[in-house]
Amino acid sequence: MRSTEVLPAFQTGSAPERAWVREWRLAGSDLARCFKGWHIWALLGVSDIRLRYKRSRFGQFWITLSMAFFVAGIGAVYGGLFHQNVHDYIPYLAVNMTIWTLISTTISESCQAFIEAAPYLRQEALPKSTFIMRVMVRNIMAFGHNLIIIPLVFIVFLYPVGPVAFLALPGLMLVLAGIFMGSISLALLCTRFRDMPQIVGNLLQLAFFVTPIMWHVEQLGHNAFYVEVLNPFAAFLRIVAEPLLGHVPAPQTYVTVLISLSVLTVIAWPVFAKFRARIVYWL
Amino acid sequence: MASIELADASVEIPIFNSRGRSLKTTLVRRVGGQVEAGDNDVVSVKALRHVDLSLKPGDRLGLVGHNGAGKSTLLRVFAGSYEPSTGRADIAGTVSSLIDMEMGMDPELTGADNIIQRGVFLGMSLKEARRAIPAIAEFSELGPYLHLPMRTYSSGMRMRLAFATSTTRHPDILLFDEMISFGDAGFAARAKARLDAMMDNAKILVLASHDIASLRSYCNRAVLLEAGSIVAQGTVDEVWARYIDGLEKVASADTAPVESYDELLDSTVLAEQSIFAAEMPN
Repeated sequence: MRSTEVLPAFQTGSAPERAWVREWRLAGSDLARCFKGWHIWALLGVSDIRLRYKRSRFGQFWITLSMAFFVAGIGAVYGGLFHQNVHDYIPYLAVNMTIWTLISTTISESCQAFIEAAPYLRQEALPKSTFIMRVMVRNIMAFGHNLIIIPLVFIVFLYPVGPVAFLALPGLMLVLAGIFMGSISLALLCTRFRDMPQIVGNLLQLAFFVTPIMWHVEQLGHNAFYVEVLNPFAAFLRIVAEPLLGHVPAPQTYVTVLISLSVLTVIAWPVFAKFRARIVYWL
Repeated sequence: MASIELADASVEIPIFNSRGRSLKTTLVRRVGGQVEAGDNDVVSVKALRHVDLSLKPGDRLGLVGHNGAGKSTLLRVFAGSYEPSTGRADIAGTVSSLIDMEMGMDPELTGADNIIQRGVFLGMSLKEARRAIPAIAEFSELGPYLHLPMRTYSSGMRMRLAFATSTTRHPDILLFDEMISFGDAGFAARAKARLDAMMDNAKILVLASHDIASLRSYCNRAVLLEAGSIVAQGTVDEVWARYIDGLEKVASADTAPVESYDELLDSTVLAEQSIFAAEMPN
């Protein structure tokens, strides 16, 4: 049936529902309807990508191309700066940058998720989480395009890949779950407070430099521990990057990821339940 | 079963100025414990006040009122996009709001792609939407234009495509903001037949309009809205008489007719003034 089957009818005769129970139930049904109506966000996400690159010569492969230029440029300069072996450094950089781009652009674009959906949200009872998923789909598509670089770089630099690479898949699932939970809170806050996107942008920039993307965590010596355990970005990055680079991620990396994921969920869910209905009024 | 139940439903829309929109000022204010400027940063407009309304299958409701009386807000509550700030609104059944028929369409996409995209918003699956393309193409008479981007269309062509797509499915509850008018005489006749069929199939119909002719022909009951409250309800003619009465009284008293809009304007102006006042160096 229709995707905008609105609020389920209130059962007459039963005791009036407590406000918070209703809020949580509606938040749950928002998510359920979002996944039931998956074709809406799938379609919107895909056409976002198609429209963005529609009138350009290389189409959506501009995404791949710009990433390739970035890796080549940074690889040449920083490889020399850090006295790195290019055969190891370029694959390391390519893998890290691809994953980091997925994490950081999804987070920064999620700030606009509800704002850019204003015409839809004002007219229909669409699930709010639909528009979070739209941003995710759009960025997963871009990630798919960037991913092409990794096998190319591995072939050019003869970097060995082992079966351990398959561990990157569950890692990626955890990363996506983390992004989804973080995006819900951020999208909500950014709709209410319009100076939030700039703050988020600044924090992401900082995160880029304190996360081992361009540098190796080992270069920090015994301070490496702090980055590995206390920087959740590093943990999320490494559970995908390490398997691709041929290492099994350390157990404490997984622990950090799972703790961060729980914290993100524990923040996102009550915030979403409480303010979900207000989003339309804030647009 | 299609039904709409509003119990003591109010909608209060906050209007933020640039300070109220800022996290920094909000935090600073909380931490510093200052309240003086605070109350003016968020002005709220009561768009709907304590509305009780119950619609059952067979009801064809006309919404009458001035601009800014709350008709569109009430339609949005029916559509489910505005959940009342207090009170409750329970809507059962599939809803189609034909307030903006082009919602979900993108000028850069081709006509066919737009049919799919709009169709999905109307609750079709991808497969259903794809199957609906030939029928919609035939009805809208777009021919070869269907595979060109929608930005190349004339406004009439765009309207035809949006109309043909939006009326493909028959919902339980149908919402209109003013009756749709069609330019082209040949298309208008076919469109009216299609729309009438859709309206006949709908269990509940709500039409907001300033046109007594369309209210009389489509509605069997009406409510009069004033500043967000229902001030009269009954048959279309009774409510219309009240509405005209009110207009005449206002005209003779020579006061501004749009009460809630003025209220909104005044309060925003006040809020803006308070920003400047607050930022003036002492």
